[in-house]
Amino acid sequence: MNLLNYVPGDSFLHKLNPVTKLLAAFLYGIAAIICGNVFAEVGLIILMILISATCGIAKRAILLTRNLFFLGLIMFVIQLFFVRDGEPLAVIGGFVLFTTGGLKSALLLSLRVIAAMLPLMLLFAITQMNDLCNALVKRLHLPYRYAFIVTTAFRFVPIFATEFHDIQDAQKARGVDFDTKNIFRKIGLVAPLCVPLLVSSLKKVDVSAMSAEMRGFELRGYKSGYKEYPFGVRDLVTVAVLVALIAITALWGA
Amino acid sequence: MISVKNLGFVYQGGKSAALDGINIEIADGDFVGITGTSGAGKTTFTFALSGIIPQKIKGDFYGAVTVDGVDTAVHPAEEFARKVGQVFQDIDSQMVASVVEDEILFGLENFGVPYEEIAKRVDRVLKDLGIEDLRDREIEGLSGGQKQKVAIASILALEPEVIVLDEPTGELDPESSREIFKILTDLNREKGITVIIVEQKIMLLCEYVKHMMVLDKGKIAFYGTPGDMASSIDTFKDLGINVPRVTELSASLISEKIYDGEVTLTVDEAEKMVRRILK
Amino acid sequence: MIRFENVSFGYSEKRPILNDLSFHIEKGDFVALIGANGAGKSTISRLVNGLLHPTKGHVYLNGKDTLKTPSSTLARDCGFLFQNPDRQICENTVKDEIAFSMKAQGWPSDLIADRTRAVLETFDLDPEWFPFSRSRGERQRIALASVLACEPGLLILDEPTTGLDYLECIRIMDHVTGLNQEKGVTVLMVSHDMELVQSYAKNVLVLNHGQILGQGPTNEMMKNVEVLKKARVLPAQIPELALRFGDEFKDVFTVEDMLAALRGRAGKGGAL
Repeated sequence: MNLLNYVPGDSFLHKLNPVTKLLAAFLYGIAAIICGNVFAEVGLIILMILISATCGIAKRAILLTRNLFFLGLIMFVIQLFFVRDGEPLAVIGGFVLFTTGGLKSALLLSLRVIAAMLPLMLLFAITQMNDLCNALVKRLHLPYRYAFIVTTAFRFVPIFATEFHDIQDAQKARGVDFDTKNIFRKIGLVAPLCVPLLVSSLKKVDVSAMSAEMRGFELRGYKSGYKEYPFGVRDLVTVAVLVALIAITALWGA
Repeated sequence: MISVKNLGFVYQGGKSAALDGINIEIADGDFVGITGTSGAGKTTFTFALSGIIPQKIKGDFYGAVTVDGVDTAVHPAEEFARKVGQVFQDIDSQMVASVVEDEILFGLENFGVPYEEIAKRVDRVLKDLGIEDLRDREIEGLSGGQKQKVAIASILALEPEVIVLDEPTGELDPESSREIFKILTDLNREKGITVIIVEQKIMLLCEYVKHMMVLDKGKIAFYGTPGDMASSIDTFKDLGINVPRVTELSASLISEKIYDGEVTLTVDEAEKMVRRILK
Repeated sequence: MIRFENVSFGYSEKRPILNDLSFHIEKGDFVALIGANGAGKSTISRLVNGLLHPTKGHVYLNGKDTLKTPSSTLARDCGFLFQNPDRQICENTVKDEIAFSMKAQGWPSDLIADRTRAVLETFDLDPEWFPFSRSRGERQRIALASVLACEPGLLILDEPTTGLDYLECIRIMDHVTGLNQEKGVTVLMVSHDMELVQSYAKNVLVLNHGQILGQGPTNEMMKNVEVLKKARVLPAQIPELALRFGDEFKDVFTVEDMLAALRGRAGKGGAL
């Protein structure tokens, strides 16, 4: 299962303006960053999973949380040994391994990373990349060129994934052993996988650019988009709720 | 009308000419199939018709290509797309959107087609290609045949006078390949769109096109109706072009004076021929 | 050579691609797998060399269970030519590209040099060419040369002639046929092109929705209307033409057959 794919639906959040969705994800992230309380961070993560449930993507939210947990774990370990304030908590032979301050800030940082990243990643589940870019161009007048580059990059991800898989099969069929434990051999496996991928991506990108140009890409301006992305009451409500959330976490965390 | 005069092209850094002294006139409403061995210049020729050559791909360009009197080398290629639509060989990379409807909207939006008109055109091309049910689908999950129809629809939406396709059935199975040819035939017949198609599947060309062009080393080696192939079957073999078995059969029967009719291009025609011989 | 025993395969329980399939292919045979898209042809070819593993049952290649043998070992018995040569070409010169497969399989370097020289000649390839800028047909020939340099006892071709012109197509197929007839190399070919199948395959395996509808000599299967119709496959032109006349042309399979049959008939009836 691809954790960044769009999941169709028509929940309250699905129907929001894509710009609002992006803003909301950012605001949620800000709330997580300014929040200074471990329990409040846990609360934000749980709240996010509950919100996901309203769009029918609770399962994905849980999977993503689990994946982000590993990232959080790395942050935790680094923070644990580098922050030295507070009382010593673990001492080995007179050497202070870590302190209460270290533990607290490590816990907070790792939870904060999860809470701040989760909404951004869930954004892709309820927003078509095309819609997001078109809306950014139409409402915020972001230059179309950049929006196009971003959508194209996203669109090519699954295409290149399939291509990569097929290349791997082709090389396996020639007798290349991808399960080898020998590290030098493993390094040698990079070329047979990456060269064909590089060649085919260059070709694909070339055709893609030509195809876009031949259909008037250069003529496009922010007014060109056919679909309108109006803001409505629900967008206003969402932003208001998130501003309130920031206020609450700021107060609670203090 | 498309008029090609003394067209020649050498790719930048290329040693030999990809196209060399091509002269041809293609009437409005024609359906031309182009075939030939790889490296014969088929793709280059289609690029010259749509202005990609010499505008987007650099090289030495000779001669002139005009469509309705408009010079493809001078007129901005982007604008030209509304006259001559190009469907590229690689289905996946020519797409610009991830959802079918957005793919079709792309050109319409860029060329500033009025809002009400856009809705009508999208509905119409989806209907013309029989893909109304694919409107909200992700392109990634479609079959090769469906993707090809979406690609044609997105070009058709711009209402070009000429549509140029480069091996659209290359990766398709026989059933979907035939379907694409049927769709093109309908567009050609009902809307009068000139269709120019590069194709290796000679049986399909014989069955559907009005004129056939064989390119060899950048030159036109044969141009005529599929029926004209009869007198040139040996030429075709020399050029490395396969002719349908039934065509080969009828040509042999004609040359052995067992049959005095026209060369047959399809199994149906061959059946009639054999029945006449047996009578 | 190849044995499928009650093989099922699918990515999910609900939609199996192959369903309880059993068949075997003898050494030295030239078999074409035919059927509509999604019938399971490519899946079968990938089960043989261990790129895919059966979810139920067993696949044996030269007596080796593919479940227990790594695909890199199976590759020594089984060469695989894919539809798209660009997925395998990864070296800067044709000679390195050809040597690549042998190196991966651990051939001694003096043998590699000998074999490389031999196939370069057989396939009319220049050792110093930059493979990426050659034509599609040449790239496909480079890919085949690299596969055949390893002298596999079995060759699998997956839609080998897609995107090739007729000359290149004949060139590749004639070479494969030569290997099959002279060296007894077993060939398993997946193809949509019935003219190609009729011209080259000895036997045909007809598939539909992951099940075998029929297996038998090519000419016999070409006229088995019932099976072909069920498999949504159009027969080659001349067998189809012959079929429309019932038993009248029951021994007609090729243009030459039809010509011979008609010569006699026209003579008698005096058609002209």
